[in-house]
Amino acid sequence: MDVVDESDALPEDPSRTGDAIIEARGIVKRFGGAVAVDSVSMAVPPGEIHGLVGENGAGKSTLMRVLAGILSPDRGAVVVDGEELKAGDTRAALEAGIALVHQELSLVEEMTVAENILLGSTPTRAGLIKTGELKRIAAEALDEIGVSVDLDEPIGRLSVALRQFVEIARAVARKPRVLILDEPTATLTPTETDYLLDMLQRLSRRGLAIIYISHRIPEIFRICDRVTVLRDGRHVDTAAISDTRPQDLVDQMVGRQLALDLQTHRVPAEPGAVVLQARGIRAPGVDGVDLEVRAGEIVGLGGLVGAGRTELVRAIIGADLRSAGEVTVAAGGRTRRVAGIRAAVAGGLAYVPEERRTDGLALTMTVAENVALPNRGRLSRSGVLLFRKIADFALGLARTVGLRPPEIRREVGDFSGGNQQKVVLAKWLGRRPDVVVLDEPTRGVDVGAKVEIHRLVKDLADGGAAVLMVSSDLPELLELSDVIHILRDGRIVGTLTAEEADEKLVMSLASGEATVAA
Amino acid sequence: MTSEASGEATTTSEAAARTADLGDRGGADPDIKRRKLHVLEQMANRGIFFFTAALVLIAALFIDGFASLENITDVFHRAAPIGIVAVGMTFVVISANYLDLSVVAQVATAAVVLIGVSNNSNIPMAIGLALLIALAYGIVNGVAVGVFKANAVIVTLSTTFIGLGLLRWASGGSIYFGPSDGPIRSFGTTEIGPFPLSMIVLVVIAIGLHFLLNRTTFGFLLKSYGSNRNATRLAGVNTALVVVGAFLISALGSTIGGFVLAAFSNTAVSAMSSGFDFEALAAIIVGGTSVFGGKGSVLRTLLGVVFVSVLTNIMVLSGLGFGYQQMAIGALIAAAVSVDALARRAAGK
Repeated sequence: MDVVDESDALPEDPSRTGDAIIEARGIVKRFGGAVAVDSVSMAVPPGEIHGLVGENGAGKSTLMRVLAGILSPDRGAVVVDGEELKAGDTRAALEAGIALVHQELSLVEEMTVAENILLGSTPTRAGLIKTGELKRIAAEALDEIGVSVDLDEPIGRLSVALRQFVEIARAVARKPRVLILDEPTATLTPTETDYLLDMLQRLSRRGLAIIYISHRIPEIFRICDRVTVLRDGRHVDTAAISDTRPQDLVDQMVGRQLALDLQTHRVPAEPGAVVLQARGIRAPGVDGVDLEVRAGEIVGLGGLVGAGRTELVRAIIGADLRSAGEVTVAAGGRTRRVAGIRAAVAGGLAYVPEERRTDGLALTMTVAENVALPNRGRLSRSGVLLFRKIADFALGLARTVGLRPPEIRREVGDFSGGNQQKVVLAKWLGRRPDVVVLDEPTRGVDVGAKVEIHRLVKDLADGGAAVLMVSSDLPELLELSDVIHILRDGRIVGTLTAEEADEKLVMSLASGEATVAA
Repeated sequence: MTSEASGEATTTSEAAARTADLGDRGGADPDIKRRKLHVLEQMANRGIFFFTAALVLIAALFIDGFASLENITDVFHRAAPIGIVAVGMTFVVISANYLDLSVVAQVATAAVVLIGVSNNSNIPMAIGLALLIALAYGIVNGVAVGVFKANAVIVTLSTTFIGLGLLRWASGGSIYFGPSDGPIRSFGTTEIGPFPLSMIVLVVIAIGLHFLLNRTTFGFLLKSYGSNRNATRLAGVNTALVVVGAFLISALGSTIGGFVLAAFSNTAVSAMSSGFDFEALAAIIVGGTSVFGGKGSVLRTLLGVVFVSVLTNIMVLSGLGFGYQQMAIGALIAAAVSVDALARRAAGK
């Protein structure tokens, strides 16, 4: 099952290979000693939406970067229209009509929508930008994907979702024949996702070949014609979507049976006293919020991207300044007011930020060092570090969170997203926090790690911690939360208990009646 | 990996029962496997051992006059002040604040204060005054960078200007000559074998700072801050103190470096330390401390100092003038930061 002959990669229907517009032939890509992509072949004809799935580190993004000419393969070739593409040449790939929409947004915040869409292919005459032409092409591209946004607006002022659409417009403006999207819906709400998926189907009907990477299995089944599964850099299977079941995909991704329905709602213990209390919180994007979290309770914050959820939790814990409001933490028999993040952490708070790479971890430091950071007080004596204690402490926590491999002397940057997120949790678990604030705890994390992270969050609450969690992943929000507050425009617009909440209700509150699905 | 498939069947039922087992499929994180230290990374981190040994060997074999006791002692005499500045500045580089340009003003100030103010009679007072000035430099630089989040290069360039301006104003631009005997002179001329006292001071300071960097909570927080200042702040660390600490150590190094320089040359003038900033930086980054912050070593900076000093000495012995030496230092820095950046990219960071 593991080693797949290259011929397996070709689709069953030979007529389809004949007219493939883009083909990867036996691509091998190594980084250092290890193989990221191992003899993978795939072919996509015009008008097909081809799903590409696999866990983090399976080689999806690497393969796509080879197709787009960003990486040069060690072996194999990219063939467009029967002609071999010059390896590792971004410009050649672009000219051949391959456009890649990256996982991380790559827009320049200070520049306008139109300038960003034409970034790298700005129309000029004698070195001067042809502004009219620039706007015309940008408007056309936006029109093509059916998004309306002011061309002169700086990107920095747009919501994350709109930025994602501008990113796609940027690809479309190059008149591609092959469009590659790497997890475009990771930051989108369900409504926005719906819109994006409809748009992709429209584009494919016009003959565009689309390669679509996503962790979200339902999306794959909704829009893809065929799907390819990668695992550990190898091709596992390519099949028509009509011949595939969701469970099969997940099994192929993780390499063994994984019961999707294992995720059951937890039985909440009787909530205890109020631990975290926030009153009248105001901050940029937050417009007067009161909330409280009890010991043993998980309070979820739902809402659309840009509703102010991240801003709210950052203002509550003092990571960012708040313009008004008071926060108290009652734990260990005393109640303290929390002004800044230092006081919050000293008072027993743990914060798992939205952006683990920029806010959560020191990537060039080891697992042990990252874990030791908030626990340094008890891992040192008179300012001198106790290395043996640090190692034991970190190893114990690495095992608790299921870090794989549990090599605490490795740099955190060497691990996959799911494992990195486990390290963020491990940092705080060692403090036995009274208050845990989680912001998108499983974003960009593979299925297996997600289940484990959910288990850890439940364990924290069961152990008596007050948990406040932001999540755009609706099933996650519904599965874990005892109470869900829904935010819109920086305010709580609705509060649901676990029993009454469902996806529809959360979304209708989050979007508000005025906003109609685009 | 191949055993994975056979293991699947047996573990399925257990997995259903225990979620804790769920991710346990065949062990390793696939990302982890691709991580064999890249050759560039090796070079950026540990290359200095090889390069220094090779350079010394080449000098000993091919350069006339290098391997004499007299020359070696002279190399050490010249290396010590730069070295003391460099081991202190290493802390600023590790904090991801690039460098401390104000070492130029600080070295000159310390030298002028030691020779000019003491007038060979009140040395403790001169040393005390110089240390107070170091404290001021450390706090001003540290607060501007650590609290106000100003760019360290611009801040320390400014404090250099202010400091040199103050020094020229206070000294009237004069050259101070030390007396021909007394404690300062004897400190500057004492040698134990080929080692001047100043070199021993450097080694002792380096060992102390090595301990501070690698064994203490402060050193740990400094590296953590240099690696990711946001994550460090959000873990509840007082990051302003960490930055002020880094600039204080740099200030202390510059001041002691100034003392040593003054004692060796027995003169002091405001222009005497020009170029110290870049020579110290060259030693630091050739020693493998990354300008991206978070990683570095005081002892490797020490080797970097030896490398830079031997290189300069080779050029002097070969009759290549100061212009050539400047070009060499410039080229060395450019090459070392490029290797650093390439290694980082090769490591996929």
